[in-house]
Amino acid sequence: MAAILLVLIQTFLEDLAVMLDWGASLRQTLLILGFVFDLFFTIEFIVRVYDSWRMNRVGSYFWYERGWIDFLASIPLLLLNSGPAMLAIAAGGVTVMGIGGMLNVLKVVKAIRIARVLRLLRVLKVFRRIKNTESVMAQRHVAMISATTVSVFVAVLLAGTLVGAFITVPSLDLEFQAHSFDVLRYLADDAVRENPDVRKRFLEAEDTVLMVRDGGAVVFSRYPDSYFEKHFGPGDYGYLELNDVAVFIDLRPVNQDQSATNIRYFFVIIVIILVLMFIYSPHFAMTISDPIHIIRRGMSEQGYNLEVIIPAQYGSDDVYELGRLYNEVFLPMKNRSGSETEVSSLKMDDLKDLFD
Amino acid sequence: MSSDIEKAQSFVSRLLQNPALRDFTPLQREEQLIQFLHVNSAQLAPTLSSQQFFPGKNWNQIFSILLEALYGLVNEELLPEIEQSITGINYTFLQFLRQQQADDTLVKGQISKLVTGLMQKPDARRGFTGAFSALRFHSVDRYLDEAFARKTYIHFELTKVQRLRMGRDEIKSFVELTLLLKPVINLISSSAPTQQERTTGMVQSQFADKVFSLVKKQIKILPEQVIKSAVDASLSFNENRFIEATSRLAAVFSARSRNYQPNMRVDRGADSPDKSWFSIARRNYKFYGFDIKLLDELYKTAAENNW
Repeated sequence: MAAILLVLIQTFLEDLAVMLDWGASLRQTLLILGFVFDLFFTIEFIVRVYDSWRMNRVGSYFWYERGWIDFLASIPLLLLNSGPAMLAIAAGGVTVMGIGGMLNVLKVVKAIRIARVLRLLRVLKVFRRIKNTESVMAQRHVAMISATTVSVFVAVLLAGTLVGAFITVPSLDLEFQAHSFDVLRYLADDAVRENPDVRKRFLEAEDTVLMVRDGGAVVFSRYPDSYFEKHFGPGDYGYLELNDVAVFIDLRPVNQDQSATNIRYFFVIIVIILVLMFIYSPHFAMTISDPIHIIRRGMSEQGYNLEVIIPAQYGSDDVYELGRLYNEVFLPMKNRSGSETEVSSLKMDDLKDLFD
Repeated sequence: MSSDIEKAQSFVSRLLQNPALRDFTPLQREEQLIQFLHVNSAQLAPTLSSQQFFPGKNWNQIFSILLEALYGLVNEELLPEIEQSITGINYTFLQFLRQQQADDTLVKGQISKLVTGLMQKPDARRGFTGAFSALRFHSVDRYLDEAFARKTYIHFELTKVQRLRMGRDEIKSFVELTLLLKPVINLISSSAPTQQERTTGMVQSQFADKVFSLVKKQIKILPEQVIKSAVDASLSFNENRFIEATSRLAAVFSARSRNYQPNMRVDRGADSPDKSWFSIARRNYKFYGFDIKLLDELYKTAAENNW
């Protein structure tokens, strides 16, 4: 429980750190923490699968005990999200993010985003451990509705992100990408390369360019090296090359926009679950499981004779129709049979030690 | 033999101390324990007839020994509580009934003698369980205070129909004394009661008349109205439309309190214990011989007060 709560906080902070442009080392720490959590949940999932396999109930665990959530919120994240991020950190950042030009960079970023959406499923793991009602039936139904709602929400996001990654549709990302190519083509133009003043004026006005190399030599750097070290981590910049001119593009605005979206999704899911837990769940308990619980006790316990309260607005519900029959037919009949007085609160178990 | 009684006392005492019985009155505990012995006789008999407990005795013999021990232990608690109830009643209402002063000590002494004597009879003990609980948990106080505030059916029946020309507290005492004397119906045994009579505790009017005559002779110090009220508390209102309101109230309170549990936990979505009980009683009023209008008012009172 504590681990899942921490991972949710970490998920939120990771996006918040990007959105608010916190220092690179802090963001990197959060990334490493994310990797540790993903590893932890992957191991947890494997152990659970092994345990259920030993008891010959893998299918039951995976499909009925929400093992599929444990799976989606662990292995894909490790392989597609935190794993590559760790590799990027280990390789100094540029390897993963910068190879193959801007198009690939954005595709990798999108693939990571797709995986990140799955992390939202962990919200379900937290809330399924919170028991806000005594009724097992109410808990199961609310868990089912929560899992369905959140999974559908995540699946739609996932599908949307997948479509965006593999089908070219007009978007801010594409505009950014096209603009970056325009900048590269302009800077690779011989006329610009031969005129440093023109290039300098252009680059000072062009915020997206961080650094330009021409023939291996740095011809422009927006910030000193110490600033890059402090504020830029893996994924914060892209690398483009044309005619011996290399340009480093600032990807932070794109990432910040994405993090803001992630945080919105995160809160939408949290709010959905809280509403289900604290509004729908008590409603379910009060209008379904409570009356059934009372009827069950009245039928199984001889001395129990409390009536079910029938709320006027739900009087025609089947449960309350049953409650009415219980109140008006069963309890009076039980009372007439005299069984209420033929009951004892004592149990044979109370004498267990005396007879042992 | 004394060793058997000691063993029985130890066994019964152990059961009586069970936390599940903590909130019950001594007579309720007694009923619970007798019921437990009946229900589990098949399991208890082999063990209790072993060398460790009552060797060589059959279940009926064992049951008798246990019952004797049970009555003894329950009486240790019950009789002082009955005395307390007798002492707690304000007998000034008796003056309103016969227009002359009576010695309270003498009245209390005679009532005590009668009730204590009745407690030797198993039927009377069983019949007194509800009435005693009603006294112990002050049902009369609560409901009659409300009835006097409402001034509807119950108030009308008490003051105008039964013509009790006395204050609220005196009427409450009258109902309490009716409850206390309700087991007088068991002074003699009813011959071959029907299943319904066994369940409801109601008797035929001829039998009630017989008991009335007998009690009147035994306890001359009490006005006839009081004895009649106590005896009529075991008559069906459906067959005897002129039963006193005090009797009708005592009958209802006694039945209500038989299984009354003061600290009963009410499940969410369930009605309160009294409201539920009165609601069921309204549907079964013919079976139990209750006054439906009286039940209606008590039901409303319970509903409004969430009792």
